[in-house]
Amino acid sequence: MTVFRLLWRHRALIAVLVRRDLDARYRASVLGFFWSLINPLLLLAVYAVVFTYIFSPRFPGGDPYPLFLFSGLLPWLFFSGAVLDGSATLIDNGPLLAKVMCPPELFPAVTVLSHLIHHLLALPILLVALIVSAAAGQHSFPWSFPLVVAALVPWLLTTAGAVFAISVLSVHYRDMRDLIGHLLNLLFFSSPIIYSLEGLQVPAMLHRVLSLNPLVSLVTVYRDAVFTGRVSPPQLWLTAYAVGIVSWWLGTRVFAAYRETVVEAV
Amino acid sequence: MKGSIRFSNVSKIFRWRGPRTRHETLKGAFFHRRVLRRRSSSDQHVALDGIDLEVAPGEAVALIGPNGSGKSTLLKLTGGILKPSSGTVEVDGRVTALIELGAGFHPEITGRENVVINGMLLGLGRREIEERMQEIVDFADIGPFIDQPVKIYSSGMYVRLGFAVAVAADPDILLIDEVLAVGDEAFTRRCLNRLARMRQRGVTMVLVSHDLDLVTSFADRALYLDRGRIVVEGPADAVAARYRSDAVGDSDRDDHPPPVRNVDDNTRWGNGDVDIVSVELCVGENTSRLVASGGPCSLRIRYSVHKPTEDFVFGVAWHRSDGTQVSGHNTDLAGLVPGRLEKDGEVSCEYDSLQLSPGEYLVDVAVHARNGLAYDYWCDALKLRVTSEVEWPGVWSPPHRWRSIGPEWEESDGTPARDGNSRE
Repeated sequence: MTVFRLLWRHRALIAVLVRRDLDARYRASVLGFFWSLINPLLLLAVYAVVFTYIFSPRFPGGDPYPLFLFSGLLPWLFFSGAVLDGSATLIDNGPLLAKVMCPPELFPAVTVLSHLIHHLLALPILLVALIVSAAAGQHSFPWSFPLVVAALVPWLLTTAGAVFAISVLSVHYRDMRDLIGHLLNLLFFSSPIIYSLEGLQVPAMLHRVLSLNPLVSLVTVYRDAVFTGRVSPPQLWLTAYAVGIVSWWLGTRVFAAYRETVVEAV
Repeated sequence: MKGSIRFSNVSKIFRWRGPRTRHETLKGAFFHRRVLRRRSSSDQHVALDGIDLEVAPGEAVALIGPNGSGKSTLLKLTGGILKPSSGTVEVDGRVTALIELGAGFHPEITGRENVVINGMLLGLGRREIEERMQEIVDFADIGPFIDQPVKIYSSGMYVRLGFAVAVAADPDILLIDEVLAVGDEAFTRRCLNRLARMRQRGVTMVLVSHDLDLVTSFADRALYLDRGRIVVEGPADAVAARYRSDAVGDSDRDDHPPPVRNVDDNTRWGNGDVDIVSVELCVGENTSRLVASGGPCSLRIRYSVHKPTEDFVFGVAWHRSDGTQVSGHNTDLAGLVPGRLEKDGEVSCEYDSLQLSPGEYLVDVAVHARNGLAYDYWCDALKLRVTSEVEWPGVWSPPHRWRSIGPEWEESDGTPARDGNSRE
């Protein structure tokens, strides 16, 4: 709670820092902020081609597959992008931390928020794709789309918790970043992003292990809203929010434990 | 009270990094159980050890001492950038800090944007920053660079902008770490001018500098730190003189016994090889505390020798009670080559005409080795008063006269202004 209050007190500064983050990303390129859209679109194209034409998916996905994939990939890119940037954010802002009295909480928060804004900027593309595919009669339009706001909240909390913990751990343990890359890979393939857990043809044991992944509920709730077009069952919503809250709580606890030594370690 | 600083028994302990790697790794943490093991004392570096310090609002305090003595750590604790390992730091008011080359700037973004971010971190609102932006840009005076990323700045530009932001933030307390040395002369003068104005407004200042002249001219008070402890604290010039003497002594510490004087007595120190027994002002045949401006007088120094030496210099330094240096001279500068100092004796410095303005003066008297190592350095050994019929301002009161080429003056008898303070 105190973290919330601190961030709120510095909201004007956070706004400036987020703006700077976005500016820095877009200014240097001719295409400006379209880069932020091209990235997920490229990734989407690669996965769509690979799983439509090269491997015929042995797992059940929704139809059309690119849309199904996109609805899983979008929140994942938010999460993984923020976590990757988060592992460097305190180190990059070391000069500020070491010379001005500056609450270190600001920087992971800025990382999360600027990735959230990216995500929100990419949502219209998904919406356009949904409308086009509905017009072509391939997929009925998911009228549950506005629920995306509610589905984003657990994503936001989970991401923030992870970024808080990882930002401060990477300062103290410099090999954290390498580890993060591997962990993200593992998490990506164990989450139902390129496949769906329902009716997955794997041994029951593996299926059970996969369902333990805390991101399952988050991915499903989000995809239900923006792709499947149904309201997820309440226990799924509860799980997703519980995951978010636990992650936030844990992340801020870890941050608090290492906070005082950040400046010395940076 | 706004602008006050109080340290009570503050210590700061840093942990050493691992011996091979600068930073710890998770691997190390897991395999060597570094995370779980309690640190032994050999893993630690005590940067500050039980510091007590009080700075009143509006005071200017200088921190001096060798590298690694804890000056910057003390400054960072004051700025809230570091937290003390034990003890309490109380700071009241808005603090701005110029630590190790300027304020904290992000290298990738422009100077102007950095000004905004820095200003907000210092507690200014967006609008306040916009209002002061022009002033900041003018003061920094770095031309079109203000809209370029900070990473391409020269160190001078970096300092200029940092200084401009820090002073524009209207702090109650300003912390300055050795930044004035980087700018060019014109900028340094501008900074000093600005700092002087801020002092008049009652801004508290803590300054770290190796420029002892700056320290003595700028600070009221100085702290001499060594290995995390306060060696001596007191009037800036006395502390600076002590530091100077120690810094020389440090290089050949083995040849000399450590100072025998009590370190708490920060107006007198030295290793005691030669002691100054007494210092007297002689006017004619008499000793006195009063001397007429322009009149003859002498300083008589009586000494006793505890360890015969062939390396000795006697010196005196005159200053005003407000710290203004007036003059300093010694036997070495006068070209006297030391012979041997074996027996107790007397030495006297004679002035044919003491051309000082009226007022109170203090005299430091010292006997030291030619490299500066003090045998006995006695601050304010003598306090005396120079008298005159006219209250001439300043410290120098030379005999002088005005001669008329154009203007005409009425003759008014007995006005000393006509003929300076020359007396027959």
